[in-house]
Amino acid sequence: MSDNILKELCNRILNLFKQTESEEVNAKDVARNRLRVVLMQDRTNLTPELLQRMRRELVELLSKYVEMDKDALELNFDQEGDQMALMLSIPVIRAKDEAEIEEALANEDNSDTDEEDEISEDDDSDNDEESSNEENSENYQEENPENNSEYNENNENNSSDNNDENNSQNENSQEYQQEENNNQQ
Amino acid sequence: MTGRVIVITSGKGGVGKTTTNANIGTALARAGNKVVMIDTDLGLRNLDLLLGLENRIVYTIVDVVEKRCKLKQALVKDKKNPNLCLLAAAQTRDKSAVTEKQLKDICEKLKKDFDFILVDCPAGIEQGFQNAVAGASEAIVVTTPEMSAVRDADRIIGLLEAKEDIKSYKLLINRVRPNLVKSNDMMSVEDVVEILSADLIGIIPEDTGIITSTNKGEPIVNDEKSLAGQAYRNVAQRIMGNEVPFLDLEKETSVVTKVKKFFSHLMGKEK
Repeated sequence: MSDNILKELCNRILNLFKQTESEEVNAKDVARNRLRVVLMQDRTNLTPELLQRMRRELVELLSKYVEMDKDALELNFDQEGDQMALMLSIPVIRAKDEAEIEEALANEDNSDTDEEDEISEDDDSDNDEESSNEENSENYQEENPENNSEYNENNENNSSDNNDENNSQNENSQEYQQEENNNQQ
Repeated sequence: MTGRVIVITSGKGGVGKTTTNANIGTALARAGNKVVMIDTDLGLRNLDLLLGLENRIVYTIVDVVEKRCKLKQALVKDKKNPNLCLLAAAQTRDKSAVTEKQLKDICEKLKKDFDFILVDCPAGIEQGFQNAVAGASEAIVVTTPEMSAVRDADRIIGLLEAKEDIKSYKLLINRVRPNLVKSNDMMSVEDVVEILSADLIGIIPEDTGIITSTNKGEPIVNDEKSLAGQAYRNVAQRIMGNEVPFLDLEKETSVVTKVKKFFSHLMGKEK
């Protein structure tokens, strides 16, 4: 009995040490990572606000197809040589089934008057984001106001049964934003 | 003779532009080149102090531009090395006293008589920077392994890349502290090079000798024993096109190496 207790105690103490070791992030890595992020912002002219908006819009877009952990979404710029890449990492909680996807798409289709044009435009902007180099990210900025106005229009055009859902979405994104702000502070 | 015009710049102040300028210039002259250094930091001149020439300045670059003297009259010869000259900045004027065109013309004239024209650039990215860069075809970007210095260096590199006349730029990482790098408290040279993706021309260790050499007005490259001096002499060799391996700072600054050097010194400098 006493042996077992001793072993457990030893293990716990060992675990404690392991935890503190792994949690300790060294100043060098912190500096390197912070610098990477800030340089990407400098190089692309994307302000933190614009980056946040980009995240929000990506969440909205992708939520139609998969259920994901919105808070754990990571959006980073990476550089390999001269080529800049936009890395998006989203933990997927659950793949939506066909009916749910169709419903989400149908909701969107109803709200859009000329659906096909809208969708093809969306596709274009997606491609830009994925193969982002400096030029493209500038394009993105230019497109941004457009997209946003579309989005606002969508909200206005939505019939009453869609409004509830949209509101809840907006609430989510607001919450998300607040958390982000807290993190920044 | 067609000299090479190299601008030494950094964006951020206090990273060691002027120290780098004084040391590379002196090292190049020691290696037998004819070198002239131009201080373009109008109103905040310091290169004269680092070289110990502050009492010898009669005319400045502004006097040349405003035709109060000939270009050759304004060149101050170094105390030790006749191959080394300084064209000092005016202390009482601001950056608008010299234009890009005028600096370019001065560089063109100096090219005929000198192998190297080193232009000491003021901090910042405003007109002073634009002026200093105007006549140059090469650049050395000085940075330290600190976030703010690296960020500013990145900005400067972006501006240099947009300049058609700048054919190449190289990175010089100053004030590296091997102990801090080893304990993961400071970014390493590799980190900085990777982040800025630029070619490296020198790694200079933090050296308290820099302070005493500045106080004496004597560049540290003249101190044969100094590690920073050795690093600067290596930079000069690389500028001249010679391949010199980078110093292994971790090894050079370790206690064992220091003890060994101490003993070899005692034993009559036998290796």
